[in-house]
Amino acid sequence: MRLIRYTQPYGRTFYAPLARSPWAGLEAEVGRLFEAALSETASSAAEVRFPIDLYEDAHTTTVRAELPGVDRSAISVELVEGTLQIGARRVQKIGEREETVELKRSINVQEHVVQTDKISATYDNGVLTVTLPKREEAKPRKVTVAIA
Amino acid sequence: MSLITSLIPSLAERPAQAQPQPRSEERGPTVAPRYEITETAEAFALVVQLPGVAKDGLELSVDHEEVRLVGRRAWRKPEALTVLHRETSDAAFELVLSHDRAIDVEKVSAELRDGVLRVALAKAASLKPRKITVG
Repeated sequence: MRLIRYTQPYGRTFYAPLARSPWAGLEAEVGRLFEAALSETASSAAEVRFPIDLYEDAHTTTVRAELPGVDRSAISVELVEGTLQIGARRVQKIGEREETVELKRSINVQEHVVQTDKISATYDNGVLTVTLPKREEAKPRKVTVAIA
Repeated sequence: MSLITSLIPSLAERPAQAQPQPRSEERGPTVAPRYEITETAEAFALVVQLPGVAKDGLELSVDHEEVRLVGRRAWRKPEALTVLHRETSDAAFELVLSHDRAIDVEKVSAELRDGVLRVALAKAASLKPRKITVG
């Protein structure tokens, strides 16, 4: 085997702008995008999602969320600008230290359909049930048309 | 057989092998719940997340070999409701943990609150740290 001296490709030594990769700007942009995307997931990891179910009948829309082991006072249900926000805080004791986990989910709600002042919620066996009654005008109406 | 059981005492205490275990097929598909086990010098603590399971839907059995747990969900969807979106399952929870005689079957306490089951499983005497005084 013979050892040969490594020579830089692209004649870097002759022309300075070529020393910089032609894709450097794009690479920086891609790096920035990745960083932004990753930091977003990192922040959402602190807010744990929990499974929810949506049901509907003629009069109500029902949201059921599995939130085991959460204190009732640590659950918040808010309707803000057409979004139903369910938040909960679970305090876990791991040995001596306590760990707080924030749980959050939001659901889009059509405010013209829901009687916003009559929303109710219950918490049983670790399941939160939010009942959203529909407005009268949003309920399906049955009109019998007489056929002459 | 009596010779074998006298040689291996653990066989005598074992429930008869012929005894059929309740098959999971009978209660439909089951899912494994999320659980956590922590250990202290005296006991094991088992914490199982069983959202939607009420006290009467929970079966917990502890024998010399296994801790067996079945939790059925208390809520069934009324006929009138239509599903818009689902992320949860209706399947019952089932968890089987084998422990190889590590726990004292007589000293098991359990508490189910807000969909979280906490079971305290005292360690069998043979597993507890023993202090031997040297005379």
